[in-house]
Amino acid sequence: MSENKQIVADIDRSLYDFKDVENEKDFYRMEEGLTKETVLKVSEEKNDPEWMRDFRLHCLDLYEQIKMPNWGPSIEGLDMDRISSYVRHKSDMKGKWEDVPEDIKNTFEKLGIPQAERESLAGVGAQYDSELVYHNVKDEVAAQGVIYTDLESALHGEYADMIKEHFMKLVPPTDHKFAALHGAVWSGGSFVYVPKGVKVDIPLQSYFRLNAAGAGQFEHTLIIVDEGADLHFIEGCSAPKYNVANLHAGCVELFVGKNARLRYSTIENWSKNMYNLNTKRALVEENGIMEWVSGSFGSHTSYLYPMTILKGNDSKMEFTGITFAGKGQNLDTGAKVVHQGERTTSVISTKSISKDGGIGTYRSSVTIQKTAKKAKASVSCDSLMLDSISRADTIPAMDIRTDDADVGHEAKIGRISDEAVFYLMSRGISEEDAKAMIVSGFANPVSKELPLEYAVEMNNLIKLEMSGH
Amino acid sequence: MNADLNMKVNVLPVYTYNFLHVNDSTINSSDIKIDNFSTPSANSLPNGVELKKDVSFEEAGSIFRKNKDRIMVSTGVPGEPNGDTSGRDDGQALRTGMGIDVDKLMIELGVKTDIFTVSENTKVSEPIILHYDMADGEGSLSAQVVHACKNSEVTVIMDYNSDKDASGFLGVSTRLLAEEGARITLVKTQLLGKEFLHFDDIGAACFDKGEVKLISLELGGKQNWNGCYTNLVGKESAFNCDMGYLCRDDHSLDLNYVADHRGKKTNALMQFKGVLMEEAQKTLRFTIDFKNGSAGSAGDEQEDTLLLSPDVVNRTMPIILCQEEDVDGRHGATIGQLGEDLLFYMQSRGIDEEEAKRIMIKARLESVSRLIPDDELSQKVQYYIQGIV
Amino acid sequence: MSEQSLLQVKDLSVSIDNELPILHNINLDIKPGETHVLMGPNGAGKSTLGFTLMGNPHYNVTDGKIIFEGQDITDLSTDKRAKAGMFLSFQNPYEVPGISLSSFIRNAYHAQTGAPVKLLAFQKQLKAAMEILSMDESYADRDLNVGFSGGEKKKAEILQLLMLSPKFAILDETDSGLDVDAVRTVSKGVEEYQKKKDGALLIITHSTKILESLHVDYTHVLVKGNIVHTGDGTLVEEINEKGFERFIQD
Repeated sequence: MSENKQIVADIDRSLYDFKDVENEKDFYRMEEGLTKETVLKVSEEKNDPEWMRDFRLHCLDLYEQIKMPNWGPSIEGLDMDRISSYVRHKSDMKGKWEDVPEDIKNTFEKLGIPQAERESLAGVGAQYDSELVYHNVKDEVAAQGVIYTDLESALHGEYADMIKEHFMKLVPPTDHKFAALHGAVWSGGSFVYVPKGVKVDIPLQSYFRLNAAGAGQFEHTLIIVDEGADLHFIEGCSAPKYNVANLHAGCVELFVGKNARLRYSTIENWSKNMYNLNTKRALVEENGIMEWVSGSFGSHTSYLYPMTILKGNDSKMEFTGITFAGKGQNLDTGAKVVHQGERTTSVISTKSISKDGGIGTYRSSVTIQKTAKKAKASVSCDSLMLDSISRADTIPAMDIRTDDADVGHEAKIGRISDEAVFYLMSRGISEEDAKAMIVSGFANPVSKELPLEYAVEMNNLIKLEMSGH
Repeated sequence: MNADLNMKVNVLPVYTYNFLHVNDSTINSSDIKIDNFSTPSANSLPNGVELKKDVSFEEAGSIFRKNKDRIMVSTGVPGEPNGDTSGRDDGQALRTGMGIDVDKLMIELGVKTDIFTVSENTKVSEPIILHYDMADGEGSLSAQVVHACKNSEVTVIMDYNSDKDASGFLGVSTRLLAEEGARITLVKTQLLGKEFLHFDDIGAACFDKGEVKLISLELGGKQNWNGCYTNLVGKESAFNCDMGYLCRDDHSLDLNYVADHRGKKTNALMQFKGVLMEEAQKTLRFTIDFKNGSAGSAGDEQEDTLLLSPDVVNRTMPIILCQEEDVDGRHGATIGQLGEDLLFYMQSRGIDEEEAKRIMIKARLESVSRLIPDDELSQKVQYYIQGIV
Repeated sequence: MSEQSLLQVKDLSVSIDNELPILHNINLDIKPGETHVLMGPNGAGKSTLGFTLMGNPHYNVTDGKIIFEGQDITDLSTDKRAKAGMFLSFQNPYEVPGISLSSFIRNAYHAQTGAPVKLLAFQKQLKAAMEILSMDESYADRDLNVGFSGGEKKKAEILQLLMLSPKFAILDETDSGLDVDAVRTVSKGVEEYQKKKDGALLIITHSTKILESLHVDYTHVLVKGNIVHTGDGTLVEEINEKGFERFIQD
């Protein structure tokens, strides 16, 4: 019963924060820092085709040229000279769970990944540090022609051309400094192709675990949902907490074909030493539907604004997001949408919660180009302040270049009212629970968009944050 | 004399994505002819108002500099918003919407300031009216300070006119101080010719229960910049703003409005109603900033924009910054063309589409012009609006 | 006497947010199974008494005590009072988006009893209670009070009263703003509460509509923060006919 969410057992933070001692001899770790040599070494490790090696070097040049953005959270604490951009276990990727090395298997088992796969997923990919360690698709899904594999093997296989055609075309390395960085040192991630008309009934999932201290994770996810196809893809992230900065600069490129639908759900719970500078973008063709569900709980610093380009006529996008900024966190999140096609529709609805000195910033842009006749866009963002030492900022932008558009925008900022707490307490609920209940209710529009296990996980995370430990 | 203008103005209180090109605006114009450096004389000076003419811009700022500790009262809690730009205007005697480059221009060109001081407990019923009747090709820069002492009330009306085809330049800086319990109503109506370059920069500070009310209409001009920054310093101080605009041809309007809530139980209500036609471009930045310590405050920013041509560009940045739990902040915007339902309703009453548009343009602008507390000017503006539609 | 008292209010004085005092030297003694009515003109402080008994932190007890089942609860937090068996039906119930009415009642039930909620039995009980109150079943799944009309909100309060079965319930203006049919439905719910449990009631009202079909033991008249008169159930009728004038002149 989803209604039971409020009554959940106490949460054990160690669920995410356990550290597995990495036995050094089992791991290959690139030296810290970013130079032409390290980039070439990554390329060699990955056995890149030539075009990819050249592309990496080109990206490194761009990375050195592009300036840091002047508008976001500070990333002073991130010193690239102290980040190792590549760490992998010395064994290869496995297609069978039993074959995954014991230490890594333990980690994922603690996170509940194999169990989830057995129960409710069509396929699972698991990345540990820089490499995929496990990949599996259910037979019946594979039989429909669905490809779900790691990007590296796809680069050398049947779909090599398709990847070359799409790789970093939607997010060009010139986009911003960390897109360039990603292009130079990307490693791991998944390639998904859903053929025409194929509807995948149960979700595919990728789980990213960054276990090494002082390392970067740069996985690349490329998903192509062909005409009339339908997919739900789930991404989970976690890492144990270290005292040194970790960096996540992944990149997600999503291509949604004509009449196709893609739902992309994320529960991000990186540890609070993580710099999460992630870029996600979707291109939607005629009558296609892109749905984002995004929960941001972890990280020290986040820059995250999934972007949708509504290229085809009648294409649609829906973004539902929640951000919980607690102690020591500066989470700058939101969404971007560009309307190009006629009668395109976008709905952005976000919730943000700030507590214990956390900084939560909602940042967005809605662009309606001249060609987007009869486009409709609506934005609503609610912020909840739980004390007066935190920040909740709302920085939206709208750029409208046709009269034939209908744009609505609503933002609210407020707090938990004393009256509401008193009302709940008058029914015997403790103050702490009353507040947690109100916050869960506030987050409900997001959690109800998630599959049940994830909704429960999200409510657990809220409860954990609310208890203030 | 002729001057080159190269100013960065209307800087967003917090930067956002650069690809939007909204973080600031530039006034870049060379060889501008400027004939006039002072404020036109008022119709008559009501009792209780003292006028000090032709004070240097810097000297006129001393009233704000003297109160700087009060106006810029520190909140004590660290933590700037991401992309904070507040340090940029530190050199201003009083922070204004357009920012420090206006001050620099005024000082450099030796613009004189008129200081209107309203003595304590004086409620001036007659408005002070400053008519700017600009000739074709004329250029003018002027500055005013309105200082309303405790429990006083005053209305200042500034009315900018020229022939409808005239060209020229008009730049105005108006700084306001509403002391405890004082109320200042500032009315600005801009009916300049279609080749005019115009900017209007406002800064205000309100002490306990002090109140500033701004009624502003931007109806003419070719390139227009407006900024208004209100420091709600005192407990229960308030800022109330009704702005109407009409932008047509290839004209542009660039706006930056900020309500800075520092005192407890402060209140800001900003409403923008406008119409964009032909190839007009408008950028509206408006910010409610709840600083730590502004408990019990409320801020509301509303925009209603009617788009009447496929070639308009409408940019809106409705920002809410918040570092205080006990506040109520909201924003709403409706942007689009005439609603189909409304159009259908009007057509069912025999009104065609063109007429319906005219009615809706008038409705938006007249809801602001009706607030002008001077019948003659209110009628003049309504007549002007009718002349356009 | 006092041994069997359920609620005793002794010389209670109250101010709001430490400003001017609203209630002065209030005394009440309510025994199990009794129904007390608190009447008085607008602004007399009736709701203040309800909020104070329930422990709203904005209402400060400046003097006196509240004793519930022999225990001094004057400083007890609101949730603990609820757990002890007190209930307040709010005049303006709060809207809580994201939590359904049924899940909220389940949460409250769980919080008060500590016992796990048996889902099927709970749903059956809820359905029965909603039937008594002529509430459409769909309300169970709607967000708590969100978008409910005035009447629906009051019914939802009485629904909670029936489901949580407190020992002592305060009904604050439960009849205000309701039409005749709604008042009848609500008072049917209150009768049900009187019937099935030896529970006591304090009904705060400024009209008498809700009292018509209920048995009343005592009537207190509150004027300007003082209880100026206490009588039996017949006082309700007198006030119904003649209003409060007699007491205000006192």
